[in-house]
Amino acid sequence: MFSQKEFIDVSRKFVCVRLESYESKEHQDMVRKFLDGRFENTAFCILAPDGETQLSGTGRGPEQALRRGRGRLDDENVVTKLETYASDYRTKGNPDEMVLQDFHSFRQALNVASADQRLLVYAVGPESAEEKLRQQLRPVFASKEIIGLFHLDFADKEKDSKWTSTIRKSSDRDGIYVIRADEFGQSGEVLERLDLATDPKTITGHLLATNLAFSLLEERKDYASHVSGGRREGIHFENGMPYGEDRDGDGEIDHRGGMGKGKGGKGKGKGRTPTE
Amino acid sequence: MKNILLLFGLILFTESALAQGPRPTDIAASPQPVGDAGVMWYTTWDTALAEAKRSNRPIFFMAAAATCSGISGVF
Repeated sequence: MFSQKEFIDVSRKFVCVRLESYESKEHQDMVRKFLDGRFENTAFCILAPDGETQLSGTGRGPEQALRRGRGRLDDENVVTKLETYASDYRTKGNPDEMVLQDFHSFRQALNVASADQRLLVYAVGPESAEEKLRQQLRPVFASKEIIGLFHLDFADKEKDSKWTSTIRKSSDRDGIYVIRADEFGQSGEVLERLDLATDPKTITGHLLATNLAFSLLEERKDYASHVSGGRREGIHFENGMPYGEDRDGDGEIDHRGGMGKGKGGKGKGKGRTPTE
Repeated sequence: MKNILLLFGLILFTESALAQGPRPTDIAASPQPVGDAGVMWYTTWDTALAEAKRSNRPIFFMAAAATCSGISGVF
């Protein structure tokens, strides 16, 4: 669904947020808030711009979250339903002043860029120049040519200090880096580096050219063979929280094949792995 | 009676399978060509909330993992 033109078009009328389920307790607490205390690795819902008022139900997919009663909506009805929600709000403000995307860590940014097969734009500069850099990048990432093509992350000098160790052709210099993540998103390569002072129009031109080159180089991943290949290679991504779900809402990850310890399970087992 | 039990079991299995979403073996490659524009995601709650308040747009909230069985680089 997320790759359909109609869905992408209507998504522009929303602020779409995708939190990594296993990145932090804060993220899991948000999921629990919408699922009456339960934690599942995937959850959707629609909220008002205040971030508090829940407008839809919650489900593992938009087809479930937006339905009325049992069952699930088809893709066309999901789009129609989203249009209805969006029509209740009049968008305001200048798009050129939009808040820019950011990640909690470079490591997660690289993982997500790999998962989505998008290039990662990584802004590295002194803290004192960050606001200026954001001002420069806002019109670039708000433009119709660029929106939805890249992921964007701002370096945290302390937390992300080791980013160069996993990225080929990287350097310690400040700059706007365009990075291609490797297959499993734990390493990558710099395809382009621009000076921080580069003007927005030039940045846009370089980004589009690099994205075109990327589109010719990169082949779409097949989910099943990616996972089986990862198993063979022993790939593991250490997240902030243990993998698994808490479907009974007892606050602990459920034991495989059962509930958490509140309802007869062991509670501290390895639990289900995401999407398993 | 046996048929009714079988039917009941099938319904339960189907509902349970749907509730869990597709299994990795059911998912293939995204049909969208690499390099095409997709959904513009915010990846922290703070940035998303600030943008929603600024632009008065509703929030499409999603929590998901870019990992499967601890294997990274997949969505």
